[in-house]
Amino acid sequence: MASMLNTGFQSEQNVEVHKFYSGSVVLVAFVTLILQAFLHKYGRWADVVDLPLLVVIYFSVSRRNPVTGLLLGAAIGMFQDGLSHDNPIGLYGIAKTLVGYFASTVGARIDTEHPFARFVLTFLFFHFHQVVLAFTERVLLNQPTPFFSLHLLIDSLISAAVSVVLFAALDRLRRSN
Amino acid sequence: MIDAISRHRSLALLAGVILAQVLLLAYQIRRAHDVRLIRYWSVQASAPAARSGTWFFSHLGGFWSGYVGLRNAHAENEQLREQVGQLELRNRELESQAAEAHRLEVLFDFRSAHPEAQMLAAQVIEASADPASETVLINRGDHDRVKRNMAVITPDGIVGKIVEVFPDDSQVMLMTDKNMGVGAMFADTRTHGVVKGTSDPQPLMDYIVNDEKVSAGQTIITSGEDRIFPKGLLVGVVASAKDGNPFQKILVRPAARLDRLEDVIVLVTQQELAPARPGQSFTVSPAPPAPVQATAPPLNTGAAAAAASSQPSVKAPQPGGAAK
Repeated sequence: MASMLNTGFQSEQNVEVHKFYSGSVVLVAFVTLILQAFLHKYGRWADVVDLPLLVVIYFSVSRRNPVTGLLLGAAIGMFQDGLSHDNPIGLYGIAKTLVGYFASTVGARIDTEHPFARFVLTFLFFHFHQVVLAFTERVLLNQPTPFFSLHLLIDSLISAAVSVVLFAALDRLRRSN
Repeated sequence: MIDAISRHRSLALLAGVILAQVLLLAYQIRRAHDVRLIRYWSVQASAPAARSGTWFFSHLGGFWSGYVGLRNAHAENEQLREQVGQLELRNRELESQAAEAHRLEVLFDFRSAHPEAQMLAAQVIEASADPASETVLINRGDHDRVKRNMAVITPDGIVGKIVEVFPDDSQVMLMTDKNMGVGAMFADTRTHGVVKGTSDPQPLMDYIVNDEKVSAGQTIITSGEDRIFPKGLLVGVVASAKDGNPFQKILVRPAARLDRLEDVIVLVTQQELAPARPGQSFTVSPAPPAPVQATAPPLNTGAAAAAASSQPSVKAPQPGGAAK
């Protein structure tokens, strides 16, 4: 496992910046948001995987540009807030902005093409996202949102597993150099 | 600063976006009492500065008014003192006018109560310079058809008589003058006598025999026998009485305040005045009679009226006698 991670790390100069077909980022983000909201009414299982979060992680890591990452995270997060009926606008926005920024920063330093790297990266950013979300809710909303729980652990593992498949599918949107 | 922002453009943008969203959240979130969080934060952020500013300016204002403002306090104090002096002077003027109005009101009431008698209101304008002479000068004279021996009274009681008439003024001899005599009698016993001046504040009622029972506080009125004062005017009350030889020595407290005369009435005729109605009073400044113990034992009344003829201005109290 250590060797797998080591093979994933490359120097910053050698990291490749991926580009996507025009409109594909916006389209994917929009579809995942709609899908997330659509699946939400079919039960709690649909909330296990935060599809917009996975999209933010993927594009931020792929673009490897912090500005693009944070703006994408902010846009998707606020859109997600807008689609939820009781979340104040900015709650998910703050969390996904930070995820987008740090994911792009991390993506600029390590190779995230390997499925295991993507699994670990998604797992970690899932919990980072949750910590930021819980912190914001505790400070601003006075709500005792947990930073970590068994449910969250399971969700993070499922999301990480889904991300491996999803990221591979999204790789097809890349433009070849 | 700008260079640092340019170098860390992405970090600055991140901070800006996060801050914007935090503010957006704060705008939406409502805390207790339905107060938006952003308003709560704004108040919390500005309150210390506002409190400090308020404290500073209030203390600065207190310093200004408490210390710097003292520079004007002295001038203001002087101005207020002057104002107080003017107000006190004005107050005294008003009090004097009010007292004068009251006196005139009493005179008017007295005049209204006796429409049958012709009388002139007059003001005392001067007193005698001679301590032994109990006379005053009034502002009515020959032009007002004032004649000698006209009676001068106040609503409280008799004052004296006209002794000299000038074109515009007249001299009044007070009943306390040593040359003055008034035909008088006790209001209750109707015993006649003569009230003679002694140049003292309290004249003497003479020709009352020692057998006559006289007590302090007895009222003395004019008898009309002197042909100057109409019958029934108040002369005064008995201050003290004691046996004498051959008559009692009775001191009389004049009803009129002779020591503070200001407005008087000159009776043009000697027509008897109608008695005052019950409850009617013309007293300006009543002087309560002193509780003097009568010292004279009751003696028999005597014919003392004849002795009154010794007084230069009083005819002997004989019925129908002529005035001087």
